[in-house]
Amino acid sequence: MIYLEPESVPEAVAALAGDEDARCLAGGQTLMAMMNADLVMPSTLVGLRRIAGLHEVTETEGMLRIGAMVTHARLAGEERLEGARAVVTGSGGGGDDVSISGRLEGARAVVRDAARQIAHPAVRNRGTIGGALCHADPQADLPGALVAAGAHVEIAGADGVRTAPVDGFFVDYLESSLEPGEMLTAVLIPEGPQGAVGAHLKFSRTDGDYAIVSVSSVVAMQDGVCSYARVVVGSAGPAPLHLDAADALLTGSGLDDAVLLQAGDLLAAAADPVDDVRGSSDYRRLLLPALLARAVGAARERFDG
Amino acid sequence: MGFPPTVSGPGALKIENSFLVPAPRDRVWRFIQSAEEVGACVPGCEHVDVVGEGKFKARVRVKVGPIKALFNIDIERTEEEPMESASYSTRGEEGGRASRLSARSRLTLRAAGEKETEVAYASEISIAGRLGRFGAGVMKKKADDLGGQFAEALRQRIADTPA
Repeated sequence: MIYLEPESVPEAVAALAGDEDARCLAGGQTLMAMMNADLVMPSTLVGLRRIAGLHEVTETEGMLRIGAMVTHARLAGEERLEGARAVVTGSGGGGDDVSISGRLEGARAVVRDAARQIAHPAVRNRGTIGGALCHADPQADLPGALVAAGAHVEIAGADGVRTAPVDGFFVDYLESSLEPGEMLTAVLIPEGPQGAVGAHLKFSRTDGDYAIVSVSSVVAMQDGVCSYARVVVGSAGPAPLHLDAADALLTGSGLDDAVLLQAGDLLAAAADPVDDVRGSSDYRRLLLPALLARAVGAARERFDG
Repeated sequence: MGFPPTVSGPGALKIENSFLVPAPRDRVWRFIQSAEEVGACVPGCEHVDVVGEGKFKARVRVKVGPIKALFNIDIERTEEEPMESASYSTRGEEGGRASRLSARSRLTLRAAGEKETEVAYASEISIAGRLGRFGAGVMKKKADDLGGQFAEALRQRIADTPA
């Protein structure tokens, strides 16, 4: 195996070119474990840590641009992830001083709320947003949170840089839409609708485990009526589960419990979760409406206050 | 992000399914007697050789995201009830003994009217070695998925073959 540490994105893209078994190494929190287990055997490993631009967080044209090498710990403390964007930072467990009310504020908050709940501090200190996305594990927290936040991904390849909605990025279990020779360089998170709140609710066996089911939501209300809703479910199939029909049910309603359960049932019917040691497929489908009601119900109460 | 716990061992993976093929049962039976025809319907199957009466060798490639494997497998027909059913025993390994798989499978045909046949298959697969460390939940989904692709390819191939 060849190990390279390029200092720019074009150099990294050149290192990936023409080799289907070349992989990027970001924080290594999953890739190294998979290599230790002989599951993945890259021909070339392209370490990204020396590429300065991938570590940056900048604000451009209403988008918060988060470099692929930004760690979960940094996301969890990123104050610009407010509003709908906060869906990304939520990482559970002790030690984090993000209060429930703090993490619900604003649409971007869904991102922050998810990042806060990923694994445990050691993993959050090394693991990166780019690594988590490219691993494309539907059980992970960030994929669903970023779909809820309406994020875009920035992808570099031999033909230059392209951006695409994150929704289409997750193709199947451990499979993203990245073509051979391409790499993820950044995630772009829009400000989201005015006054929205974002939250990531994770149900797991123990703190820091993968979710049995997770719900990422961005919701806004005006005068008791829901003016915006985008709800995404994790650990519910080969990719984050998002249904326009479920959002449409919620939007325009008073977000009362009956509507929340109805939207939850719709998503549960579309879910295709795995059957494993964390929970059976049926159990996960059973949990889904209750978790959705809890997540969106909490958001509703913020507007009542 | 940690690493998923796994379940492997005898019978860890069970897949079963049934599907309708638009051809009478005798034609479907003749089709599944041909290793080349069936091999062409197996996703990732690169090569099939008939090595004896009811004995075959094949090379099959499987992939879940970045996890890739190439298995050399031996298949033996263990039971046969003409026009009704056939059972197979399968053993395979990756080069270098990295993973081993074994499976017992059964294929059953049932006439569904004069022009259609219901094909049912059931397989119990166990995997040991490096791929046995991979999460059993996703492995099952992948196996179901491959089964679905096999069914679709078989239906298509029989439909496209003149009677």
